[in-house]
Amino acid sequence: MPEILLDGWQGLSPTAQDILALLLLLAPAILVGFAVTFGYRPFLLVRSLLWRYRWTNLVFVALIAVSVGLGVGLTAQERGLRQGTARAAEKFDLIVSAPGSEITMLFASVYLQPSDVPLLDGATYDAIVSNENVSLAAPIAYGDSFEGYPVVGTTPGFIAHLSGDLAQGEMFSRTGQAVAGSAVAVEVGASFTPAHGMGDGAEHDAHAGAETVIVGRMAPTGSPWDKAILVPVEAVWEVHGLANGHAPERAEQIGPPFDPDYFPGTPAVMVHADALWANYALKSDFTTDRTMAFFPGAVLSRLHALMGDVRQIMSLMAVVTQVLVTAGVLTGLVVLTRLFSRRLALLRALGAPRRFVFAVVWCYAATLIAGGAVLGLGAGFAAAGLISREISRRTDILVSAGLAWPEFHLIAGFVSLTLLLALVPAFLALNRPVIADLRN
Amino acid sequence: MRGLPLEVSNLSVTGAEGRVLVRAESLSIAPGQSIGIRGPSGAGKSTLLYALAGLQPTARGVIRWGDADLVALGESERARFRRDHVGMVFQDFLLFEELTAQGNAALAAAFGARGDVGSIRSRAGAVLQRLRIGDTARTVDSFSGGERQRVAIARALANDPAIILADEPTASLDRDTADRMIDDLVDLARTGGKTLIAVSHDRNLLDRMDRLVEVIDGRLREGAPDA
Repeated sequence: MPEILLDGWQGLSPTAQDILALLLLLAPAILVGFAVTFGYRPFLLVRSLLWRYRWTNLVFVALIAVSVGLGVGLTAQERGLRQGTARAAEKFDLIVSAPGSEITMLFASVYLQPSDVPLLDGATYDAIVSNENVSLAAPIAYGDSFEGYPVVGTTPGFIAHLSGDLAQGEMFSRTGQAVAGSAVAVEVGASFTPAHGMGDGAEHDAHAGAETVIVGRMAPTGSPWDKAILVPVEAVWEVHGLANGHAPERAEQIGPPFDPDYFPGTPAVMVHADALWANYALKSDFTTDRTMAFFPGAVLSRLHALMGDVRQIMSLMAVVTQVLVTAGVLTGLVVLTRLFSRRLALLRALGAPRRFVFAVVWCYAATLIAGGAVLGLGAGFAAAGLISREISRRTDILVSAGLAWPEFHLIAGFVSLTLLLALVPAFLALNRPVIADLRN
Repeated sequence: MRGLPLEVSNLSVTGAEGRVLVRAESLSIAPGQSIGIRGPSGAGKSTLLYALAGLQPTARGVIRWGDADLVALGESERARFRRDHVGMVFQDFLLFEELTAQGNAALAAAFGARGDVGSIRSRAGAVLQRLRIGDTARTVDSFSGGERQRVAIARALANDPAIILADEPTASLDRDTADRMIDDLVDLARTGGKTLIAVSHDRNLLDRMDRLVEVIDGRLREGAPDA
């Protein structure tokens, strides 16, 4: 029997599995609700109690909403961050650099975080670009900036690979021209002089005379490259007093092929192969004692796995918080039922069945819990959206945290559990002395 | 529903630490009769009334309304008995302030049998009209004390009970309002042939009762209306 169920489950589409899981999680609450209210019409009285103690009820709903919102926000945010960082790196198939830290190179090359890294020489670059499986091998050069935007040297081919057709203007065709990222607040046609270095330590006069005109703008990529200014890699080499990658007779050339004898060095080469298997072959070929080849996606996966452990801890904390809040809410409900114990006593004096009184208290609690859960869903979604925008603003990684099935499952589980626990205050309310409460 | 006869014998109701709150050797009430219960504060009047409603779990002896001995019944059967046969009126009305007059008067419709819902609602509306509550769709939080008590009476009569039990029904009302309320309560009880038992200190109410029972230190004593 379990095999049949397992086979049936695995035969369902992911969406069908999610819907079924949601229904299964909600089933206890629905069944209890149906069993408790069957045959009665407690909702008029519940509405009356909700209005009567509306401010206290609002506090309870807010408390539940904060608890639920915390859980929803955490899971949505973590997923958004994971997807955002993965999306930012998806155009970077394989990176070849000097041996060192893959994470440092990932941060420097994909997320454009400044870092001092050793360079690959021209012979190594030539070996990469000469490999028959390589369809794109782009050297990058960084270290300069303009008004906080990193100025990155690369090739037209890599820009086309990164963002496709330009959103505006044209591709640079000589040194002194640049293509701006989609989020760079410099107009096409404007010119600038790059500073040496980044941030407060940047030397603004170091490259005096290297005036550069923005001639085009990339389409958005959802990566930190949207806030970069891309120039010919030759331009970066030249302003630093190095050879520009080409023999003197081809000194005006922009982009590959580069001459190994005039190749001053690059911290990383972005490599793309048309066939997936070829990427693995390239990784193997360039994992040597002089070079390090890695898949940014794989490094990210390891980082995400590490974050996954943190996520589990955070999720556990969110669950613990929710359990604590639930315990607080249930304790509060017991106290609240004392507030309207006289009304419950009246109902019993008038002959209301115990199950009806039970239904009134449970439905009252259920309304607070369900209301708090729905509000918490919205609050968590809004909070995740705000935090995502802030993360995007600060890191330039497009993070979009939306609601997905895990959040709905979390809330369904929370609602079911608390509605089952809400049977306790309803049961306690039944055991109160009728006459003492009537005279209260 | 016409009134039910009451037979009480060897009734005792105990409170905390086994102290006897009310003891009654015997008490008989004919169907449709009205009884006033009076006595000093703390003598056990309300305890007796709640015992007659089947609300005193420590009651021992016999409290027989018609064929039903409330002491012998289980809690859910006693609740059913109240639902079917008893209307209760309280000193401070005990209304749901956020509900309309109609909603309060037809409160029993929320937990009554599905087949009774319509009749409870229509009877509640009719009694409210008879008690001169014109705007039955208004919430009772804006009602005067007299209006509230009339809504409470309508609630007590909405299930067409055989028995009306009233606990100090005029205590929260001014004299004029109380007198009008007494007229309404007694007239409705007599017209419907209901058995009416009212605990009260109100001389005007007690004077309208067929019989008086005095409770002193938990013991019952028959007393004439002018006693």
